[in-house]
Amino acid sequence: MSIASFSKVLSLAAFALSGLSALGAQAADFNFTGQAVFNTDRIQLSFSLDADSTGVKVWTDSWRSGLNFDPVVAVWGKTLSGYVLLSEVDDDDTLGSGQGSFDAGLKFDTLAAGHYLVTLAASPNYANGTTLTAGFAFDGQTPVALADWTQPSNNPNTNDQKGGYWSLHLSGVTQAAPVPEPSSWALLVTGLAVAALRRRRA
Amino acid sequence: MGRPTQVKPARSGGNRRDFFKHSGSAAVAIAATPLLPLSGQAAVALNALFQHGVASGDPLSDRVILWTRVSPTNGRSSQVVDYDVAKDPAFIQIAASGRVKTNIERDFTVKIDVARLEPNTTYYYRFAVEGSQSPAGRTKTLPVGVTPSLRMAVVSCSNFAYGYFNAYRRIAERADLDMVVHLGDYIYEYGSGQYGNVRACEPATEIVTLADYRARHAQYKRDPDSQAMHRQHPLVAIWDDHETANNAWKNGAENHQPGSEGTWPARVAAALQAYYEWMPVRVPDTANPQRNNRSFAIGNLVDLIMLEQRLSGRSEQLGTNIGHPSGYFVQSGAYADPTRQLLGAEQETWLFNKLRGSTAKWKLLGQGVMFAQLKVQGAPLSAGGGVFLNSDQWDGYQPARDRVYEVLKGGNGQAPVNNVVVLTGDIHSAWAADLTQDPNNPNLATGGYDKASGQGSRAVEFVGTSISSPGVNDPAGAVANSLKPANPHLKYIDLHRRGYMLIDANASRCVCEFWNVDTVASLSNVQTFAAAFEVLDGANRLAPSVQTPNRANPPPLAP
Repeated sequence: MSIASFSKVLSLAAFALSGLSALGAQAADFNFTGQAVFNTDRIQLSFSLDADSTGVKVWTDSWRSGLNFDPVVAVWGKTLSGYVLLSEVDDDDTLGSGQGSFDAGLKFDTLAAGHYLVTLAASPNYANGTTLTAGFAFDGQTPVALADWTQPSNNPNTNDQKGGYWSLHLSGVTQAAPVPEPSSWALLVTGLAVAALRRRRA
Repeated sequence: MGRPTQVKPARSGGNRRDFFKHSGSAAVAIAATPLLPLSGQAAVALNALFQHGVASGDPLSDRVILWTRVSPTNGRSSQVVDYDVAKDPAFIQIAASGRVKTNIERDFTVKIDVARLEPNTTYYYRFAVEGSQSPAGRTKTLPVGVTPSLRMAVVSCSNFAYGYFNAYRRIAERADLDMVVHLGDYIYEYGSGQYGNVRACEPATEIVTLADYRARHAQYKRDPDSQAMHRQHPLVAIWDDHETANNAWKNGAENHQPGSEGTWPARVAAALQAYYEWMPVRVPDTANPQRNNRSFAIGNLVDLIMLEQRLSGRSEQLGTNIGHPSGYFVQSGAYADPTRQLLGAEQETWLFNKLRGSTAKWKLLGQGVMFAQLKVQGAPLSAGGGVFLNSDQWDGYQPARDRVYEVLKGGNGQAPVNNVVVLTGDIHSAWAADLTQDPNNPNLATGGYDKASGQGSRAVEFVGTSISSPGVNDPAGAVANSLKPANPHLKYIDLHRRGYMLIDANASRCVCEFWNVDTVASLSNVQTFAAAFEVLDGANRLAPSVQTPNRANPPPLAP
């Protein structure tokens, strides 16, 4: 997994709000995109709310009629004892204009000020439980490259969903940023070490 | 293709001009009569979520395709579907289960290739959406190794508009079948009243777009007799022309007018997308949907080789539709052009390798159009071969057919290929044929054929009549008899009746029984045994046969 791009777009509503009042935080819209490589990859992004909020939305628009993998999205709330699952949705295409039927999305009528985590994985790599530490369904499995993987939801008539591109939108949050996955870093470090070792032997 | 658009009259029933095919374009649109709910013969309890039934197909020794279609009631563009596969109809011994999804992009059709099954085993399956269960289906995997017998129904030409699928219902009632083979024309593309008016078509007009083809498939899948057949047996299907348009070939079709119906590739893409969505078939090549040839190993007894004869390699037909005397032709000029293809070079090579490499007792070729010659005037090859009447069948591609014969005969270091049985649909009539290159030449020494003994025959062909499409109004067989003098290799001809073939093969013989239904104009339970022919191991020629016994103690039908 790598974060390929990052963009922050202030919504018109946020502009209007900030222009009129100094109260509260600026609610903003964010769009993160990247490229997943393996079926076990999990993308994590943190976001925060400076004030209690309504209408916070998190959604993908990268499925693109099967060009890319079928994502599942979960939102976790930060507590003293760690992240707790608020909601996990595999398919909801009612949140953004670019979504297709297997895109994922969540909408919260109200969400308290605080820190949150969004996880994006390939369906059906669902959360094992209600705490982040419980892990995900594919944990411990040998990673398979998405390009070589037959995702269970793929269309057998076209053998689609081979692409690793992902795009995640957050709407109505104060701040958002990608969280490098420890395991990815570990893999990267291991990979570099192996590469270095090979280079030395060569 | 530059053809003028013809306006066709609506037809009321089978007649001589309907001799097997339908000509012209689809400019006549009869006002659609309101569609009544399907009723009559008992359907399984209709479940609004699964109103298109369940089906299975393309069985292998360890897997089978399971199919259904969800009619969503929750307004969502994606649907979660659970499935169970069991060894018993009560679903106590669960062999596999899982959860899949479908969506609006695939018209809410569900296709699962359930793997890790046991060979030669009957399974029962069902689906569920939000706790609501589908009807249960029954299917069977293929055997491996020593296989004593194969028993299957072979069907073709199921035209919803022309009548009721009574033959499907009779097949559904046979609990001892291993599978059903459909040789094409599973749907028809015409609008209401354009080719049959027993039942109105959905949509009412000729189907051209993806939405059209989907709606037509959906209508066929709501037929209760079709649902019954699908529910009880795995299907092995190939398309013929009407799954796209009449007399399709690689770059067009008689019933396709680019001026008003768009490009042919766009129509094929729409037709095949709907076909693969709505049929319980495994896609052989997702990158090339036209390539649909595939084979099934039924233990050491049968290699079932299914051919694609329309969209991947076929050259354009040289003549007009069958039934038009102006279309009669002889084997000269372009008809003798060896570059013209029916299968295309790639599939031809594949077929020849399959035939030569097969170690199975029988090589069954499931294919669309009649392989045997059909002549209106007989003559030996040395005198030109006579006059032919259907340029859409192998007669219109004689050099390509000769290449198949070269494989059957062997030579040039290749062993002959014996025990080939060709299974054919397309022409709404029943035939049994010895296959010989020169049927009107009685001299065996010069490659001829002895019509009394069948010597000179290299293989046999069984052509099955239609499920419902019209044949010739020939109750006494006068037309059939008129064809016999010019065609000594045709041992059985019935142009009049609708029905199906039942193939029963074992290590010593392969029998074909011809079964007929009494009518397709209304629902009926009457079927009659018409005739049986067989080919003995190594004989490569037909002999009269008798009805084969049903298997004892078949697995129970799906409830």
